[in-house]
Amino acid sequence: MIKLYDYELSANCYKQRLMMSLLDVPYESVPIDFFPGLEHKTDEFKKINPLGHIPVINDDGYVLWDAHAILVYLAAKYDPSGHWYPIRDPALLGETASWLLFAEGTTNTASAARLYVNLSYDFDIEACRAGAHRLFRMLDEHLWFREREGLNWVCSASHPTIADIAIFPDVVLSEEGGVSRLDYPALRRWTDRVKALPGFSIMPGIFPMGTS
Amino acid sequence: MTDPTTLTDPTTLTDPTTLWHPVATMLDLPHRHIFHGQLLGREVAIWRADDEFINVWENRCLHRGVRLSIGTNDGTELTCRYHGWRYSNRSAGCTYIPAHPADAPARTICNRTFAAVEKYGLVWSGEDPIGKPPIVAALDDGTPFTLRNLPVNAPSQVVLDQLRQHRFQPVASLDANTARMTATEVNDYAIALTSTALTSTETDTTESSTAVFFVQPVDSDRSIIRAVLTEVPAQVEQLGVLRHHATALGKLVIAAETAAAQLPPPEPMVATINQVSLALSVMPEPMLDRQAPLRVQVARKWITAQDIVGFELVSVGDPLPTFQPGAHLDVHLPNGLVRQYSLTNGPGDTSSYRIGVKLEADSTGGSQCLHNTVREGDVLAISEPRNNFPLRRDSLRTVLVAGGIGVTPMLAMAQALKPMGLAFELHYFAQADEHLAFEEIRSELGDAVTTHVGLSPDETGAELARLLDGYGHANQVYICGPGPMLETARTIATAAGWPDQAVHFEYFKNTTEIDNSSSFEIALARSAVNLHVPPGKSILQILRDSGIAMPSSCEQGACGTCVVPVIEGKIDHQDVHLKQSERDAGDQIMTCVSRAAGDRLVLDI
Amino acid sequence: MTANVATTCTDPVILDQWHPLLPLDEITTDQPNTAVLLGEQLSYRLDANGDPVVWLTADADATPLPILVEYLYVWTCLGSPPDRLFAIPEFSEPDRRNVHAGTIGVHVSAPRAVENFLDMGHFPFVHTDVLGAEPHTEVVEYDVHIDPDTNDVWATECVFYQPRAATTSTEGQMSDYLYRVPHPFCVILYKTTPLDKDRMDVIALFCRPTAQDRIEAHMFLSLLDPDNTDAAIRKFQQTIFGQDKPILENQHPKLLPLDSRAETPIRADKVAIAYRRWLSDLGVTYGVIPVSPTSASVTS
Repeated sequence: MIKLYDYELSANCYKQRLMMSLLDVPYESVPIDFFPGLEHKTDEFKKINPLGHIPVINDDGYVLWDAHAILVYLAAKYDPSGHWYPIRDPALLGETASWLLFAEGTTNTASAARLYVNLSYDFDIEACRAGAHRLFRMLDEHLWFREREGLNWVCSASHPTIADIAIFPDVVLSEEGGVSRLDYPALRRWTDRVKALPGFSIMPGIFPMGTS
Repeated sequence: MTDPTTLTDPTTLTDPTTLWHPVATMLDLPHRHIFHGQLLGREVAIWRADDEFINVWENRCLHRGVRLSIGTNDGTELTCRYHGWRYSNRSAGCTYIPAHPADAPARTICNRTFAAVEKYGLVWSGEDPIGKPPIVAALDDGTPFTLRNLPVNAPSQVVLDQLRQHRFQPVASLDANTARMTATEVNDYAIALTSTALTSTETDTTESSTAVFFVQPVDSDRSIIRAVLTEVPAQVEQLGVLRHHATALGKLVIAAETAAAQLPPPEPMVATINQVSLALSVMPEPMLDRQAPLRVQVARKWITAQDIVGFELVSVGDPLPTFQPGAHLDVHLPNGLVRQYSLTNGPGDTSSYRIGVKLEADSTGGSQCLHNTVREGDVLAISEPRNNFPLRRDSLRTVLVAGGIGVTPMLAMAQALKPMGLAFELHYFAQADEHLAFEEIRSELGDAVTTHVGLSPDETGAELARLLDGYGHANQVYICGPGPMLETARTIATAAGWPDQAVHFEYFKNTTEIDNSSSFEIALARSAVNLHVPPGKSILQILRDSGIAMPSSCEQGACGTCVVPVIEGKIDHQDVHLKQSERDAGDQIMTCVSRAAGDRLVLDI
Repeated sequence: MTANVATTCTDPVILDQWHPLLPLDEITTDQPNTAVLLGEQLSYRLDANGDPVVWLTADADATPLPILVEYLYVWTCLGSPPDRLFAIPEFSEPDRRNVHAGTIGVHVSAPRAVENFLDMGHFPFVHTDVLGAEPHTEVVEYDVHIDPDTNDVWATECVFYQPRAATTSTEGQMSDYLYRVPHPFCVILYKTTPLDKDRMDVIALFCRPTAQDRIEAHMFLSLLDPDNTDAAIRKFQQTIFGQDKPILENQHPKLLPLDSRAETPIRADKVAIAYRRWLSDLGVTYGVIPVSPTSASVTS
């Protein structure tokens, strides 16, 4: 079974939990005392990931770190439909890769702002928030036009991809970092759609879809 | 660069709280979504119910101030995320407080609502708007086409100033940059712009497009541009037009934000929060006379016939108490009403209680609430089952006569008689086939059930006369149904020779007008207390006021729960529960409606 | 966004309290680090003896502020502190696990966080399937009193159904709770443990207000749990608090209104009502919206 070196409140670890939940892939969560224990900085943990960060997976001996790289691996290996990481559709694959880079941006701004507020990380908070708003404004417009094209997801496909999963946690947790989504209604509607996916799972800070 | 001195002097603007402003577009309100908006510094939660009604509410739960926009929209109610308080579509009244499932929320717990009007593809609202949303002739004459709204970190008047210099191309020549712009001021928060361009030099043809730009004042330093074209472009052109405007407005947003950054930051708008009423500000007292000790969850709610909904209720705590056929429950509804419903359960089945509820056309809120508000998963407070309609199980023949929803206790009785091998027949009168409820129970009872559908009152009487013809020893008849049918059945049974003791009936309700104008004394024989019952008060109320715990249920003289033995005194019976023979005996009284015929009654309590 | 940090505290009641700065074991060097308390930036480091020292960063003389090391934390005070901090005798029991489960920043006032900690009604909705689950939503009557000797607010006889009340729970149980507020911004919960019928687990929230509407929330536990790792205990507690955080940050206004007509209490809020009155009686003005003289006349 896949082992996930995991921290409950980490947006990047949640990306993996959400992906495996959506793919219905069983996994074992190995809780890392990320905070306040800083277990990921211990020599013991650096034997698993010398870079000293999480998430890390160990899939039957195959070890991989970096949140978005793990998403690529999980979808490529465990999604028989080929939708989540569209290897067989070069155009869509390129688009997906492009939006994964965008997700690096939301991680470094919106999720960084969250770490500043929640765990007192030493970041330039005003720069993080301004950067997050710049990206959210772009994404809101992008998703608004997607809706007008009759599409629901970040990439131009009728189904979600790992790009949605890479961006979603940074967006939906942004208010913890003081980045309001009041100005981004299309972004809010998209988060509702992600929450309605079969197999969707939550983490502390994310509300489930309403019972309807 | 804008010269700040050219901005409209805010003191000359119309008071924005008196105006209608656009707060959302219809695209913002998809099915079961809650839109998070803001106007003049006040946050609002906007949601469309399944009946298409658009609710614009202050974005805070009255309980602990949590934003309602993080709650859930189930199509008829909005539920707060924090404690599950539910607020109704339209009225915004609180319908359910899960922490106290036995209590009704005070009727006055009601969210602050704002007017909402749909016009030009936009949702309009306001703090205290006068009149109607603005009329824009160009939009009324055309076919409005909503463009993408853009948020701007700039005051509304800075945005309007930029809009006066705004440029876009008419639909027919999006790629050119040749348009002449003309502007028409609509009001302090809206401007109409017409773009005209030469589309053919040969024929000297010009084309023009008009868009109206409404600027929503979100806060003192934030706005949203909501633009509407006066004509819908051809389908193939729409995306191009939308992108053209998004790009042009995107530049305007940057310019407006740059201009706003030159200005001193304005004071934020302060949206006052209304105080709750004095009555709501104090902790409510615990409910006295608590007659509803059980907590049940609605495990299943289903439509069993037209206008009849079945409810299956399972215990939340201890196992459900046992019951007798004919028993009913008091169901304490989330709207504060208490209603009685007969159990349909077969004998010994206490895994759940099952009741049937007919939507009454003249419902005062009981059946309405159960049909429309209560849903699967809800917790209800109920009484223990009480039986004022006992079934004799020593009879040679039992005739069960049900009219409409009166079938419910009869189903319980029939299911009790069947395994005992006692002869019985269930006659079920209904207006139409689609009104016949609980098919699954009736099919188990087989041939013992006869349905009589669509009979006129006279035909019903004739049928009853046929059924009740020929009383035999140890025969019993049980009748439950509407008042006129019961009266008819009683008369027919008496005429056919059925003794009073063999005729059992249960009324839905007491339709006689209660006369409570008399005043008299009551003496409580066991406690040696004398009490005065004044006009307007019932014996039951006076007993409770003096600290005597009295059971009651329907409190209209139908169910029989509040019966008290009478030792002495003439009784003014006003109930429909007691049979004539019981009335004549004069040894019991329904304390909720009946009174003394003379000056004094001696009660055996 | 952080404008309120600049607003220094003028509330003498709050200035004279001990406030939890940070866990003792997080002061590890003689190099100064900083933390904000009541809008003031404080510096801290270990002195030559390895003891913590705290001073106002802006104070050129670096005059040490009073400190107290208690319950795993370093407490300090910007005014004149009382001799002692409130007592948690369980802390010293030999078979207890005393755990600092983490410090989480929340954009809300300290009293809003305390009031949420006192609230059972939200368990099924916010801590679904852990501390509560529908349909077990009812908050039954409980008792509230103010201890005449210590002036602590107590809620007793609290009972709530919990599907998984603690790391040690394997099945649902009716949990017995006691709540205690011994300090305007600190709150303690005593809770039944499946491991010992006669004693209770202690779970506390010690808030360090950095601004009127911002806190650093320290989570402290004193448990009768010999088995679970600190990591597991921390994970459980952080999960719970992580679920509360978005609720707290969506409360408006962020300061706790003490005027009874600001919000709508129900009987489940008995202890919250007592806490608000108690703050009013103490004269607390920081982190709250005090009762205005005009509205006081209608609330009496």
